[in-house]
Amino acid sequence: MDRLQPFISVSSPSVENGSAVPYVRELRAAEFALADNVWLDYHDTTGDPAVDRIFAVFDDGEVVSVARCRRHKDGLEVDGIFTTDSFRKKGYSRLAVSGLVEACHNDDLYMYAVRHLTSFYQQFGFDPIPESALPPVIRERYTWAGGNLEGAEVQPMRRRVGL
Amino acid sequence: MMIPGSAILSHPIHRNRILALISLTVVTLGVNLFGIMNNFTVVLPHLLYFPVILASYWYPRRGLAFSIGIASLYGIVSFLFLPLEILAGMVVVMRIVILVLIGGVVSFLSWNLARSEQQLQDIIEFLPDATFAIDKEGRIIAWNRAIQMMTGRPKAAMLNRDNYEYALAFYGERRLMLAGLIVSNEEHIREKYPQIRQEAGNLVSEAFLPHFHGDRGVHLRFSATALMDTNGKVTGAIESVRDVTEQVMTKTALENTSNRLNTLAGILRHDMSRTLAVLYGKLQFGVMKFGAPDIISYIADLKESANAIRRQIDTSREFRDIGVTPPAWIVVQDAIETAAARLDFGRVTFHAWTERLCVFSDPHLPTVFYHLLHNALKESTGSTRIIITYHIRENNCAIIIEDNGTGIPDAEKGTLFVQREDRYGKGLFLSYEIVSLTGMSLRETGIYREGARFEIIIPSEGYRIEGMER
Repeated sequence: MDRLQPFISVSSPSVENGSAVPYVRELRAAEFALADNVWLDYHDTTGDPAVDRIFAVFDDGEVVSVARCRRHKDGLEVDGIFTTDSFRKKGYSRLAVSGLVEACHNDDLYMYAVRHLTSFYQQFGFDPIPESALPPVIRERYTWAGGNLEGAEVQPMRRRVGL
Repeated sequence: MMIPGSAILSHPIHRNRILALISLTVVTLGVNLFGIMNNFTVVLPHLLYFPVILASYWYPRRGLAFSIGIASLYGIVSFLFLPLEILAGMVVVMRIVILVLIGGVVSFLSWNLARSEQQLQDIIEFLPDATFAIDKEGRIIAWNRAIQMMTGRPKAAMLNRDNYEYALAFYGERRLMLAGLIVSNEEHIREKYPQIRQEAGNLVSEAFLPHFHGDRGVHLRFSATALMDTNGKVTGAIESVRDVTEQVMTKTALENTSNRLNTLAGILRHDMSRTLAVLYGKLQFGVMKFGAPDIISYIADLKESANAIRRQIDTSREFRDIGVTPPAWIVVQDAIETAAARLDFGRVTFHAWTERLCVFSDPHLPTVFYHLLHNALKESTGSTRIIITYHIRENNCAIIIEDNGTGIPDAEKGTLFVQREDRYGKGLFLSYEIVSLTGMSLRETGIYREGARFEIIIPSEGYRIEGMER
């Protein structure tokens, strides 16, 4: 069953074996608060419709996992990939990132990945890159690490344009 | 015989100014003479600045000569009546020099100002559109050559007239026009005057004036905007009037022709649909009557051909409607859903990621997606996946419809959107026509054997992302 169903609205999800099948779609501006709720336990991250596209996994009508693509003046950054505790180990983050990558594949995508998740993101086409290969605005976000990203346990990654 | 200078004196404004200058000059020189006779020469010479500045401001070309003249008179009076002392003489000479300098500087500045005003007047004067301007009180301050020709009313008879004199020239009665509405600070203009609309900051309206051109009538398009001072306050308004009779008549003729053609096409469509219904009935009867597999297969082929005719009838109906309804902001995801609902995707995966995108388009945008998706879904393409995304670029935005089928051979790309009878039918031509109505364009950028990739290019003013201010 295809769970990337972005043209099916949240009010009419597909049904399989009598229960709604979790699926991913992009949130509208008025729905950003749903993602903010999921991010409450994730560095108090909040979405900004002016620069963000948020992709959310719905399980039984509830947003349980999100991923964000933020537009900076010199590139797109992927972050905020987070699943509510009680819904983990169900492949929902994979679903959210799949949707984001498919929707935003017309641009290069950059991210800071937590080191132990680099192999996960490599499955979506992200490759590790040196920090110097990041667009300046995205690089500035981690100036607090003072160039010691290894110590900060994060790895810059890039996904080239294309499906 | 005309006495030199008599023309300028016949104008009341100039006559008053010259009288004021002569009076002021006599008074200030007299006061200075009185001061000199009574040994009081400290403040009084400054009074001479007034006639010098006024003369230089009003008559910049003669300002310098006037200031030299008045300075000379002051010098003569001073040297005749002041005691012969070196210091007093130097002071008088310095005052003379300063008077001449002030006259020269004010003349120069006024000359430049007058030249700028003249250039602005010339621009208005020679505008191809009939144009007039009014000040805050509704007095006419400009009435150009084109409007004189249109109304037959000379500039001299119109300038400085108030009480809606300009409206008499068009409507034969004193009434508000767009410029008058602007200076009147009227609120809720659009509610009170629904025939008036706003275009790029201008008030615009059209009217048919039956008494113009020897009672043959004329269609006029009025457009007005405010004149502002440096503080942004309205100081007047300028209105242009264009004769659009020819365009209106052409449009009406085209609409009439289009209506006749549509009626004819409608009759033909109706007749073809009836004949097609009969054909479907006979094909159905054939399926029941004949059992041989080769005949059943033959009937299936005939039915497929009948389906193609039905689709062509539908396409012709869509051709009839495009451009008839005004364009509007359309949610792209809704348009795609409408198109997708008419199609059978079978085992083809389809994702559309355009949730927050709106475009300014003809309301037939779903038809565009229908034809693009219909092409991608043809079995011959071998597609198993279709994805729709959008891509924000520096000067535009692209909606991208891509599949993983065989794609379009390079040799065919050049004529893909041209109306033709073979492989791609009229769908792509129709799609191209629909998006073109609002300045969008359609192109194919895929790589043959890797998949088709159609891009709808939207100009920067033709799209918006919900929640994203640009």
